[in-house]
Amino acid sequence: MQELGKAELNSTRIIRQDDNRVVIEKDLDTEYMVLSMGPQHPSTHGVLRLECITDGEVVVEAEPYLGYLHRCFEKYCEKVDYPGIVPYTDRMDYLAGMNTEMAYCIAVEKLLDIEIPRRVEFIRVIVAELNRIASHLVAIGTYGIDLGAFTPFLFCFRDREHILNLLEWISGARMLYNYIWIGGLSYDVPADFKKRVAEFVTYFKPKTVELQKLLTENEIFVKRTRGIGLMPADVAINYGWSGPMLRGSGVDWDLRRNDPYSVYPELDFKVALPDPKFCEIGDCLARHVVRAIEMEESLKIIEQCLDRMPEVDGFNSRASIPKKIRPKAGEVYARAENPRGEVGFYIVSDGKSTKPLRCKARSSCFVNLSAMKDLSKGQLIPDLVAIIGSIDIVLGEVDR
Amino acid sequence: MSEYFSNIKIGASTIATGMAITLKHFFNAVKRKGDAGIDDADYFKQVDGLCTLQYPREVVPTPTIGRYRLFNNIEDCIGCNQCDRACPVECITIETIKVTSDDLAACGKTSGGQQKRFWLPVFDIDVAKCMTCGICVSVCPTDCLVHSPVADFSEFDVRNMVYHYGNLSKIEADAKRKKLEEEKAAKEKAAAEAAARGEAPPRPAPKPKPAPGPAPEGAEAGE
Amino acid sequence: MSHAPSLNTWSDALAGFNLGWFPLGLVIVAAIPLVFIALYALTYGVYGERKISAFMQDRLGPMEVGPWGLLQTLADILKLLQKEDIVPTAADKFLFVIGPLVMFVGSFLAFVVLPFGPAFIGADLNVGLFYAIGIVALEVVGILASGWGSNNKWALYGAVRSVAQIVSYEIPASIALLCGAMMAGTLSMQQFCVAQSGPFGLLHWYLFSNPVAWLPFLIYFISSLAETNRAPFDIPEAESELVAGFFTEYTGMKFAMFFLAEYGSMFMVSGIISIVFLGGWASPLPNIGSFALNTMTSGPVWGTFWIIMKSFFFIFVQMWLRWTLPRLRVDQLMYLCWKVLTPFAFVAFVLTAVWEIYK
Repeated sequence: MQELGKAELNSTRIIRQDDNRVVIEKDLDTEYMVLSMGPQHPSTHGVLRLECITDGEVVVEAEPYLGYLHRCFEKYCEKVDYPGIVPYTDRMDYLAGMNTEMAYCIAVEKLLDIEIPRRVEFIRVIVAELNRIASHLVAIGTYGIDLGAFTPFLFCFRDREHILNLLEWISGARMLYNYIWIGGLSYDVPADFKKRVAEFVTYFKPKTVELQKLLTENEIFVKRTRGIGLMPADVAINYGWSGPMLRGSGVDWDLRRNDPYSVYPELDFKVALPDPKFCEIGDCLARHVVRAIEMEESLKIIEQCLDRMPEVDGFNSRASIPKKIRPKAGEVYARAENPRGEVGFYIVSDGKSTKPLRCKARSSCFVNLSAMKDLSKGQLIPDLVAIIGSIDIVLGEVDR
Repeated sequence: MSEYFSNIKIGASTIATGMAITLKHFFNAVKRKGDAGIDDADYFKQVDGLCTLQYPREVVPTPTIGRYRLFNNIEDCIGCNQCDRACPVECITIETIKVTSDDLAACGKTSGGQQKRFWLPVFDIDVAKCMTCGICVSVCPTDCLVHSPVADFSEFDVRNMVYHYGNLSKIEADAKRKKLEEEKAAKEKAAAEAAARGEAPPRPAPKPKPAPGPAPEGAEAGE
Repeated sequence: MSHAPSLNTWSDALAGFNLGWFPLGLVIVAAIPLVFIALYALTYGVYGERKISAFMQDRLGPMEVGPWGLLQTLADILKLLQKEDIVPTAADKFLFVIGPLVMFVGSFLAFVVLPFGPAFIGADLNVGLFYAIGIVALEVVGILASGWGSNNKWALYGAVRSVAQIVSYEIPASIALLCGAMMAGTLSMQQFCVAQSGPFGLLHWYLFSNPVAWLPFLIYFISSLAETNRAPFDIPEAESELVAGFFTEYTGMKFAMFFLAEYGSMFMVSGIISIVFLGGWASPLPNIGSFALNTMTSGPVWGTFWIIMKSFFFIFVQMWLRWTLPRLRVDQLMYLCWKVLTPFAFVAFVLTAVWEIYK
């Protein structure tokens, strides 16, 4: 018997048998099916579209298609002056507006080379960390939904509501804050703010424990996520991953510590890393656990900030805002640790205009999503859903 | 083999823990969270139990700082156009008519005592476009443009989302425009006469107070 | 064994009632479970589940239609009735239409052997339990027909998953029920209840009278979750993976049929588990001295009450599990069924046999 040739992904074989008859053999089960997952699919977290080539339930290859939420952020930046871009940065990562605003403002402040009052810095860190908690709550809650657990999601949203109320109280808006302005803040915090945030921290601590018991430690949840979507540290670095995704792969990297900005160097916090006893380093569970630990670390940061925040009588949070923002010619790249990873703004100023010549946003989940093709190879469809959920994409930021 | 049994044990115990949590919440359902706002001192004392608020009847109070529907107090508006220029989404449309010198008193002053120099036949805010960023509010010199904490202003027709704040009707506006033309014509005539008389034309700053300088225009050209 | 002489009196009397040649009584006997399913699915099934899940999740649930949202389900049904009945052009029309019907009929046929109290049963078959196990499996044919006929990739996945699921759960479920049959020495549903009723109330139930009965009880309960496609085994309809699984393409009343069938089979498996292990219509209250609580709370009407209450309790547990647990993956379900439940079911089988011989 002699094999003469193969065609169509090994499904067809042409064989010359011993009696010189040539036969064409065909396997029964090797027809691939193209499955378009999304943009209208319950677990693609918005309008992501995955074109999966599937062999039965096994995904042979999944190709993410983007652009369903593209809003020309970068081009628009060239048409709007520097303060006017801030509300657009909110709309990039709409779950963590404060963090993105902060990154953008740091970039412009670097370009302008201006000094920020300490109180403003502390308030910025508090709101950014509150928003990080809110964002991780959504990530964890929706991850539960992806795996079929609905109740943790609503518990997460119940607690997120308190954060949104707090942020609405200081900024006037619930999700798209425009609170952090270049050089300052749009408003100082209300008198009771510190007390209320401290109350929130005491309220929220037992809730994280409950969430951990209900979801993270649940054996079905662990079985669904452990060892799924493994990403080794070196590949993760090569992909340019950042944030909880990178830390989930066991890389001890946090911009708040490694490239500190604002008042983070003064604060004492731990970079969240997964526990190798509970999960495999680099799997979906590790990424989930990193987010859960980060929420607790954020609570610690908030507590420290509340202690150290200087009280200034008659503080005007807008006093340090430059009257006319027209940076001298130059370029700057500033980055910050978003809930989803490194978000950075590269801004070029021509020195004449009140509008940036170019504003490039480095989006964290766009980069994280780029590994999707690699991660999804040979996974089952339920695992594919678990992997998408663990990347925690916000399509507003992916497409910008 | 021991792993097999420990797996079953862990599975059973974690499932039992989870079920205990949901059952606790189930029996906690006799209590309901109140609708106190975040600025209420008791806010975090009332968070146990069902947290649904039935929206139109029970509302989470919007904080006074709440940035929702734009409102312009036209009485105080001096028509400086700064909000229009600052708005990133161009949701504000303003048309101004300069006030003739004899009308200054009729046009009135702002509550801050500033003389208004423009009629505002059109001051439209398209709140459907507005993204409530609050930049226009921050640049307003007389604080007449504010975001009110009214969060629910939905409409069946999107055209109703355009709010008209202009203080002149169309007929009035035409009249004012005509008046301005006449005054201008009269002035030009006077100037021409003066020039004809050989006097040096009194090179005045032609626009008395064009509040927002056209400075940024040069910058725009640079792009 | 106190009720033995007067079993099935109501249903027998009703079945014998003919209107000329027309067997009106039989039609009524058949209609009673149907009306019951519809009523219970309306009230406890949909409304109850929504409320229970809401309370577990710190929500209020439906509140707008009627007092406490009681009429919400009626409003939903009105809405479903008005929906356009869409049959996709590329669908296999025959399978598409017949799928929900087969599924509903499968869950409804099993009610034939479900005793609603000591005096009412559709047909007191001497192989009642066997019949029930067999007929409930008919649902999978409906799922496969609708999933294949929809000509939708998600529906196809759901259908194929469902078939993979049935071969996994049917074996431990059947063996667990076999343990019950061994304890009772019969397959007749009525005789199960009779064997477990007595003056000491719940002490006569196999779950409490037999020290090994909890094992087949748990095994059957877990498999019954898979049987009804409820979380954590809602793999054929897994809404976050397969959009809506096998009923992705269905609208209107066809969609409602799936719902009705799901709630029907939920009641069915809860009924079976309460009959086999918890005495069915037998009263849980014991006779204490002169307080003849058991005797007072037995009889046809009380029996109906008890069996419905017991089933409702298990339905509550099913809902409770659903709103607590994440979903298993399809291969994990098979692991659970083949490698955990089936060996334990065999162990339970042997233990029960040993107990029955040496008790």
